[in-house]
Amino acid sequence: MSRDLSGLLQHPAIWRGRSAAQLRTLPTGFPALDEGLPGGGWPQAGLIEVLPSGFGVGELSLLLPALATTTRRPEARWCAWVAPPLQPFAPALEARGVALERILMVRPPRQDEREKSALWAFEQTLRSGACDIVLGWLRSALPRQIRRLHLAAERGATLGVLFRPRQAARDSSPAALRIAVEPTVGGARVTLLKSRGGARGAIELFSR
Amino acid sequence: MRHRRALELPFQESHPTPSPAQAPSPRRDDALRPAPAPEAAARAPAELWLAVRLAASSSQPSREALERLGALAQRVTPRVSLDPPDGLLLEVQGSLHLFGGVEAVRREVAGDCSRLRLLCTLAVAPTPLAASALARAARMTGASASPPPITDLAQLVGRLSPLPLATLRWPQDTLERLARIGVRTIGEALRLPRAGFARRFGTAQLQALDRLVGRASDLQHLFQVRARFRRRRELLHELESQAALLAVLEPLLQELGEFLQARQCGVLALECRLWHRLVPPTRCVLRLAAPLADPAQLAALLAERLSALVLPEAVRACELRSGPLVPRVLDSGGLWQPGELGGGAAAQAPQLIERLRARLGAQAVQGLRVVDEHRPEAAWQVREPVIGSPSGRSASGRHQFASRPAVADSGPDDRRPVWLLSRPRLLEARDGLPRRRGPLRLLGEAERIETGWWDGAEIARDYYTAQDARGARLWVFREREPPHRWFLHGVFG
Repeated sequence: MSRDLSGLLQHPAIWRGRSAAQLRTLPTGFPALDEGLPGGGWPQAGLIEVLPSGFGVGELSLLLPALATTTRRPEARWCAWVAPPLQPFAPALEARGVALERILMVRPPRQDEREKSALWAFEQTLRSGACDIVLGWLRSALPRQIRRLHLAAERGATLGVLFRPRQAARDSSPAALRIAVEPTVGGARVTLLKSRGGARGAIELFSR
Repeated sequence: MRHRRALELPFQESHPTPSPAQAPSPRRDDALRPAPAPEAAARAPAELWLAVRLAASSSQPSREALERLGALAQRVTPRVSLDPPDGLLLEVQGSLHLFGGVEAVRREVAGDCSRLRLLCTLAVAPTPLAASALARAARMTGASASPPPITDLAQLVGRLSPLPLATLRWPQDTLERLARIGVRTIGEALRLPRAGFARRFGTAQLQALDRLVGRASDLQHLFQVRARFRRRRELLHELESQAALLAVLEPLLQELGEFLQARQCGVLALECRLWHRLVPPTRCVLRLAAPLADPAQLAALLAERLSALVLPEAVRACELRSGPLVPRVLDSGGLWQPGELGGGAAAQAPQLIERLRARLGAQAVQGLRVVDEHRPEAAWQVREPVIGSPSGRSASGRHQFASRPAVADSGPDDRRPVWLLSRPRLLEARDGLPRRRGPLRLLGEAERIETGWWDGAEIARDYYTAQDARGARLWVFREREPPHRWFLHGVFG
């Protein structure tokens, strides 16, 4: 392709199927995954859904390299954890290169409306523009709620990561990217369930 | 043996009194004066302090009374310092010509005291300590009238000498030791040799003597009137809905915003009181992460708070009270959008924390910190979220890593799980091996953590990484003590 043509194709008014040239992304830290994702990484603004087959199968390790590079940038914003199921272990995060000063824990108090509070806090942190990444754990979310979260993330220029149980894969979701994570013998297998303008299929990742 | 030098008296050596013949320079206005006053030789002090000492018998010699008097006394001079528990110090040299002499200033301050119904003694001297001592001495002797002022540095030591040392509020044992060597008055203390005095009675006391006679400067903390915002509004009819209440509070918040803007200040705490007919008022306190002055933001936070409030009765009056005012540094708006190159989150960050805390409670939003400790449960702590400049942060981060090379470089970190259980969960075991939804497969070798014998929370554990049947990696340990139970302590994310 000549240089003129590639310059022309960068024009924002031209839309091409399966192209994600204008997408701003964060490298995932896994070259194999970067290749499969639209734009070569996690989107910098928008909501993605991670559906692990069980808790602790490697879904957080998938995001830790991106967390580390993001929080270490000089202009880093916060990285918020909304309603995490357990206590994140600070020494382990630090050892993996995450700057702890940028971590913000948001834990709704234990009460009847916990799920509702978590959803509200998730949306607020995404919308505020004070965070680079927001990780959120919700047991259930309706498609219109996910749509709200996605719009909030785009407005705040924030990457929202929603962790839901694997069963949620059957429901439709307006998230830009949906990935399933399964454990393998030496690592994890990531399956792209939905990715706007990216490849589909399974990708074998990190040996551990 | 070295010659023991007596404590210098300022009017003898360090500040020799100039005789009229050797006055440093003839004043230009000498000719204007018909006859040199007899005090021409006297040295006018640079400062003149008026000490106010409240009597213990006055209605309430409390901090509050002192602050009220201090606020009133700022009419006389801007340099007012509190001298708790019962004193006030005013520097009045600059005000003398405005009021017409020491006596007039003293009358003004005495008038303030009687207006507040406080019984007090006033004394004037060139140093704060001397004025206090003079006032305290007058109080001790029970003299009702205030002592005559000392307006001349040359008279200072002479007038102070007969006063008992107890007027200086030194520690009781120091006074007793001085009394044992026969030193009971200030004059006697001033005659003691400096080196020996400092050695036997402490340098603090020597410095106090220096400040007393004006040989060392005595800096005082200036008292500043604490300004608070407080407005109350009676409602025309009783209100029950939070939305209506917020509409009533809106103008009050607007007023608060103007009040704060005029002073270039913000508030860190705001209290809203709602009065009812029968039950005590409902209080709704807002605590902020950073000084705030914007009425719209305050209204949004207050709305969040009010919506969570259960009102016991209809509201008939509401009041807004600010916490202490905090100077606010206005920051300039960013050129970049957040998330863009160079676009930080300095401005949005405190707002986000406040909004979350207003609804979820202060405990719900926290930061994380590592503690140097081998016991996993004690190796982390929550902390206040860091709201700071990125540059300072990265510098501290570097320092932190430089000082903990073992964590940053060596291998075992990969063996720490990302999730930690708040307390270890007992696992069932069969044939000495742990089980959780089927047998666990132990990976790699054990890591022994055996520490904490000094504070009663001793642990002796062998930690393993294990994989369960579903593929989740777990952090489990086996107690070293019999019965060698197995526990689950963490999950690798």
